[in-house]
Amino acid sequence: MSEFHLTEDQQDCLQEIINIAMGQASDQLARYLDTFVYLKVPSIESIGAKDLLQTLSQQKNTMAVVSQGFFGYEGIRGEALLSYQEEDSGRIADLLGYEPDELSKDEQLIDISSILTTTFLNVFARQIDNQMSYNAPKLLPSVQNSLSEHLQEMTFNWDLALKVNISYQVTDYSFNCNMILLIPETAIVNIKHVLDRILAEF
Amino acid sequence: MSPSVLICDDSNMARKQVLRSLPEQWKTSVQTASNGAEALTILRDNSIEVLFLDLTMPGIDGIGVLQGINKLNLNCSVFVISADIQPEMQAKVKALGAKEFIRKPVKADVLINHLQQHGLL
Repeated sequence: MSEFHLTEDQQDCLQEIINIAMGQASDQLARYLDTFVYLKVPSIESIGAKDLLQTLSQQKNTMAVVSQGFFGYEGIRGEALLSYQEEDSGRIADLLGYEPDELSKDEQLIDISSILTTTFLNVFARQIDNQMSYNAPKLLPSVQNSLSEHLQEMTFNWDLALKVNISYQVTDYSFNCNMILLIPETAIVNIKHVLDRILAEF
Repeated sequence: MSPSVLICDDSNMARKQVLRSLPEQWKTSVQTASNGAEALTILRDNSIEVLFLDLTMPGIDGIGVLQGINKLNLNCSVFVISADIQPEMQAKVKALGAKEFIRKPVKADVLINHLQQHGLL
């Protein structure tokens, strides 16, 4: 076990913090879309940067990915990726209730992504007595190589990342969105300290 | 008088959070389950009076446990403690017989308040 791996207690603690953040993010999404969002237990795993590139850039039918960097105090930082499936692209405008010319599809995707990301991360931060700042969200064009290029650029000096995968399923519309948080190894060590501090209270 | 209590949550930390929010005199008669199937086994074989139940769990989730309680016709006060705070979910668990929906992270004063409201304290 390396200094970057979470103990069982740390993993449990992180998962519970994520559950609460995910619950509030999906509540916002549900209110925004006036529908119900089905939640699954999130997955948390450590993954080598090289495997990460392989796993993520091979996802089939991914129509678009919106990527947004976040950083808080105490060296906690990472990147949130929201990926949407090809077959859902036409449904997004219906869901959001925009008129065809009101906002472009790209702007709609950025809107929905930023609701999910900022709600999730603000609730996450509040629970660990932290506060997040965000980079502007970036929509990666649906060109096959753009995701892997983006990932390569982002992770060029990472060896290992903590990968958190959360799926939001909008049941009425069979619309799915996957949120993937990537936390680089230097920030993992900082998160472990924060988790230990919380665990010490129990 | 302390009732027999079951806490069901897949997170160890969440179970501890509930446990430490309970009235002091209740803490001696608490059982725990880390998933829905385990909870249903305990509920069937013991007379549990108060259940604190999480919703999002692998396998049989909280909704499955509520359905099981209804099927088995068990007389047990259920307090759902969940992060899935969508209004539709809150309505669903109440329709399935839960006394209250309490949002995570649970706070002792809120929990005690609900127990009092339902005449359990």
